[in-house]
Amino acid sequence: MRTRSLSLVLSALVLSLAIACGGGSSSTPSGSTPSAPPATGLIYTNPTGTGWRLVKDASSTPTRVILNLVGPSDLKTRGVGFNLQAPATIKFGAFTNGMAINEGGVYQLLSAGSADPSEPIALIGGVKAGNLLTAGIFQKDRSQPAQDSGTTLCQIAVLFDATKGLHAGDKLPLQITKAKVIPEDIGTITDDLLTLDKKMKMADITIAVGSLTAN
Amino acid sequence: MRRPLPHPVSALVLALALGSGSLVAAPAPQLDRATLAVHRAQQPQRIIQAQAHFASLRAQFGLGEGDAFVARHAFTNPEGEAIVRLEQTHDGHRVWGGQAVAHVLPEGGIRTITTSVRTSVALQGEPQLSGDRALRIALAHLAPKGPMKDAPQVERVVFPAQFLGGLASKLDGTGRPVLDRSMSVTAKLDAPYVWAYEVRTRLHNREDGTKELTYLIDGNTGKILRIQDMVQHLEPAQGSGTGFYRGAVTLNTTLANDGTYLLMDTTRGTRTNQFVSGYQADPSATGWSPDIPALQVWFHQNDSDGNYTWMDGLFQTPVGVTTWGDGLPFTAWGQEGGINGQTVGVDAMSAMTTTWDFYKNIFGRDGMDGQGTAVAANVLNNFASPSWDSRDNASWSTWGQYIDLGAGSYPANPKGFQSMADLDVIAHEMTHGVTNPSQSHYWVNSAGYEEAGLNEAVSDFFAQMVKAYSTRTPGEDSVIPDTDGADWQIGKNVGHGTPLRWLDKPSLDERSVDGWFDGIKYMDGHFSAGPLNRAFYFLANGASSTPGSASYSPYLPGGMTGIGNDAAARIIYKAITEFLVGDGTGTITFQRVREACEQAAWYKGYYSEGTPAVRNAFAAANIGDAHNQTTPRTQVRFADFRHDDYIESTHFSDYSTRQVFPKGETVVPRITVLNNSNTAVTWSLGGPSMFNGADQNISKGGVINADGSWTTPNVMAWHSITATSQADPKQFAEGRVFLIGMDTDMDGEVDALDMAGVSVSWYLWGALNPAHSVFEAPLVDDDDVAFFVDAMKSTWPVK
Repeated sequence: MRTRSLSLVLSALVLSLAIACGGGSSSTPSGSTPSAPPATGLIYTNPTGTGWRLVKDASSTPTRVILNLVGPSDLKTRGVGFNLQAPATIKFGAFTNGMAINEGGVYQLLSAGSADPSEPIALIGGVKAGNLLTAGIFQKDRSQPAQDSGTTLCQIAVLFDATKGLHAGDKLPLQITKAKVIPEDIGTITDDLLTLDKKMKMADITIAVGSLTAN
Repeated sequence: MRRPLPHPVSALVLALALGSGSLVAAPAPQLDRATLAVHRAQQPQRIIQAQAHFASLRAQFGLGEGDAFVARHAFTNPEGEAIVRLEQTHDGHRVWGGQAVAHVLPEGGIRTITTSVRTSVALQGEPQLSGDRALRIALAHLAPKGPMKDAPQVERVVFPAQFLGGLASKLDGTGRPVLDRSMSVTAKLDAPYVWAYEVRTRLHNREDGTKELTYLIDGNTGKILRIQDMVQHLEPAQGSGTGFYRGAVTLNTTLANDGTYLLMDTTRGTRTNQFVSGYQADPSATGWSPDIPALQVWFHQNDSDGNYTWMDGLFQTPVGVTTWGDGLPFTAWGQEGGINGQTVGVDAMSAMTTTWDFYKNIFGRDGMDGQGTAVAANVLNNFASPSWDSRDNASWSTWGQYIDLGAGSYPANPKGFQSMADLDVIAHEMTHGVTNPSQSHYWVNSAGYEEAGLNEAVSDFFAQMVKAYSTRTPGEDSVIPDTDGADWQIGKNVGHGTPLRWLDKPSLDERSVDGWFDGIKYMDGHFSAGPLNRAFYFLANGASSTPGSASYSPYLPGGMTGIGNDAAARIIYKAITEFLVGDGTGTITFQRVREACEQAAWYKGYYSEGTPAVRNAFAAANIGDAHNQTTPRTQVRFADFRHDDYIESTHFSDYSTRQVFPKGETVVPRITVLNNSNTAVTWSLGGPSMFNGADQNISKGGVINADGSWTTPNVMAWHSITATSQADPKQFAEGRVFLIGMDTDMDGEVDALDMAGVSVSWYLWGALNPAHSVFEAPLVDDDDVAFFVDAMKSTWPVK
C-alpha cells in the first residue's frame, strides 16, 4: 500500500508540472523536472540486508547495469527463478547466450558426470509483454548437491535507452512480482510417492531490489 | 520434336544453377552415335580431369590440402559431355552432404555445380567415440526386436552443423500431422563441423516390419544429430494387381537346372541385387544364386489366413510349364507361388521390364542407378500392424534396389486397394531409384522439405511417361508418344477406378495443392508434389485459358501450349540428372527445380519454345513469374515467426530457431509481403498442411486477434495460421508451429519459474506430475528442457 500511495502522489505532481509548462505532447517520466538535463545513463543503488537481493556487478557501465542475484549465505538451494517488472522506459539486455540471464557458475547445470557442452540446461530468460522479465536457473539433476546461495547465482542486465526521453533524476521502479527457489530438500527417490510429491515444491522467497535512477 | 535454338540463357539462371566457378558455354549440339562413342571412351580421363579441376578450386572454397573431391558416378550425356558427380572429403572422410557436379565438355572446358560444396571445413582432433560405440548408440535408438536384414554399415564422416535435425512429424491414422518424437532431434552443436558416424541400418523381419534408418551420431558426444528414413513410400497407399492388369504379355524368364522356370530376366541388369543377397543359393536344384544379375520377382509367403510368414519365394513354374498366371485377382492365401499368385508376378515383371526399357531406350540409362544394378520386386505383402500397414502401399528401398508391393486390402476393405503391382505404381517406385541411386546420393523424402515434393513429383511424372511409352507404336522405341497412355493419374487401376493423385489438377484428391506457397514444405511430399506435378503436366500438355477447366490455372489465366511428352521428359530428366544435386540435405526448392529445368531446356535446344514453356509451366503452378512478365508476383512469407524444421545454418549454436511455442499464450507472428506496396494480409487459422482426415476438418486452433497476434489454442499439437495477401488473394503463406505445455506449476502463468517443474521431475520415474512434461508425457528428460528453452526464446525474445 505504501508503494501505491507514493505512485499516486508522484503522478499528481507530474501532471501539475506538465500543465504549468504549457503541456507537451509527451509525458514526463516520473520523478523528473522539465528543467532536468536529458539522462545519459543509469544509477543503481544496492538494497540493504543480507537476504535475497539484486546487487550491482562491478562490470556495470552507465548504460548497461548488470545486476547479480545473491541469496542468504547460510542457505543451500537447487535453483531460483523470478519475475521482475520494469517501466517501459528501460530495456532488459541479452548476454552472449542470447538470453536475458547469465549463469553465475554456482549451480551445477549439467547432469552429474557430464562434460557434454551440448547438453540442454535449465537456464532461461525472456521478456514478456509489459516489460516483465522472467528468468530462472535450475539444477535438473537431483543427484547434484544443493549449492550455497550466498554468492552470485545469476545475472540480468538493465539497459539505458536513449530514445525514451529520460531525464536525470527520473525514478525507474523495479518490482519483483514473483520469486521462488528449489529448496535443498526435494525428497529422494527412495521416499514414498506421497512424500516425494510433497517435497518437490518451489518455496516462495522475497528478493530485495535497489533503486534505479536515470542520470 | 527438336528445334533450333539459340538464345543465350539468362545470366541469372546460370549463376543460380551453376554456382561459383561456373563457365558459360554455348549449347552443345546433338552427336551421332560414332562421335558419342568416342566421347564415352574418354570418360575415364574426364573423370580425372574433373577431380583435378575441383582440387584447383579448393582455395576458393576455403579448403586446404586435406580436402578432396572424389568421383563417385559418371555418365556421358547425348551431347558428349561427361557428367561427373563427386563427393567431398576431408582428411579422407566423406563430408556429409558435400557434393559437386562437373560437366566436362567435349571441347575441354568444365562447367561446375558447386551449390552443395561445404566451405571452410575444419575440425579439432579425432573423434573420441569409436565406430562400434556409435553403432551401439544407433541400435539403442532403433531398438530392433528381430534380426537385422543386413549388417549395419558405419562410416566416419564430417557432419556440417547446419544439417542438424530438428522436429519431425508423421501422419496419424486420419492423415493429420503429429509430432514424431522418435525421429526428432534435440542435440545442439557449437561448431560448424563435427566428426560423426553415419550408421545405416536395415530391418526386415516379423517383429519390426521393414525399416531403413540412417543415423548421424556425434563422434564426440554420442548424440544423435540426424535421423533419415531411407525408404521411399508410395504413401498413403497404392497398389497394382496381378497379370490381371497387364493381360497377356511376353516375359523373359529363366530355365532352371531342374527344368522349372524362374520369374527372372537375365537380359536386364549387369550387377547383382542387394535385396536377394541374403537368400541362400540353390546350386543343386534350380541353380539360382544371388550372384546372378537379373530382374526378378519374389513373393511374400503368407499363411492360409494371409499372415506374413516372413519367408519369401521366387516365382517358379513346374517343369516344362512356360505359361504364368491366371489373370484373376489374387485370393490364394498360403499358395502365393501358385498360378493365381503368379498373375501378380507377371504384372510386376512386365511393368519392371517396361520401365527398365523406357529409361534405357529414351535416356540411355543402364538401370535405375545408372550402373546396371538389377532390380528385384517382392509382391503380395500382406503385413499389417498397428504402426504400419503394407497391404495398400508400395515402397522403394535405396539399400536393396528393390520394390516392395502390397497385396491390397480390397475388397475386404472397400476403401483399400487392389494388388499394388500396376505399371504406374512400379514405374513410380523405380523412378525413386533414378533420383536416389545410392545411400549418399538421394533426395530427402520427409515432410519439412520442399525436396520431398520434388521426389514424389518426379516419380509421378515419369510414371506417366512410362505409361505413354508402353502404348508406343512397335519399333518406335526412342520417342515417348503423345498418346492417351499417360492418363495423368496415379493409381487409378489399383484404386478400382479412383486415382490416388491427379497431375493435371492435384487438388482433386482434396489433400494436394495446385500452387506453391511459403510453408508448402510442411506437407507430406506426396501432397506437396502437387505444384510440380502440375507444372510438369502443363509443360507437356499445356494449360487451358478456360476457367473451370481442370487444366486452367489462375496463376496463368491466358493458358499455354505444351511441348509434348518427349520434349518435356527430356528436359526434366536432364534437369534432375545433370543440374540438381541430390546430397541428402533436403535443400532443393521448387524454385531451384524451375531453374534447372530452364537450363536443361536451353541445353537441349528447345530454347525458342522450350524455355518460355518451362517458365510458363512453372509460373502456372505459382513457382516464379511467367515468361516476359514485367511485374514480379506478390509473395507472402513468414519472417522470423516460423523457421525451418531444421536449425538454420547461421544459427547452428542456437536453439532459438525451432518452431515451438507454448500453448494458450499470445504470440506475434511477423509476415513479409514482397513485390507489392499493399502489404496488408488477412489472417486465418489452419493451413493446407493441417489436413485432418477425409472430412477435411482442418485444425483451426486458437484465436487470431485483431492486431494479427495469435492466441494459441490450449492443445499440445502442431498448429498453423495462414496469412493471405489482400492485394492478391492467390498468394498466401502458412506458418506452422508445435505447441507445448509450459505451465508446469499450474499457476496460470507461463514464465521461467515453470522450468523448475521440469527440473525437479527430470528423469524421475513414478513421482512425475504429468504437468511437468511439456509433452504431457510420463517422463521428463532433456527433450523437455530443450523444448522449454526453445519456446521461451521464440515467444519472449530479448529485443
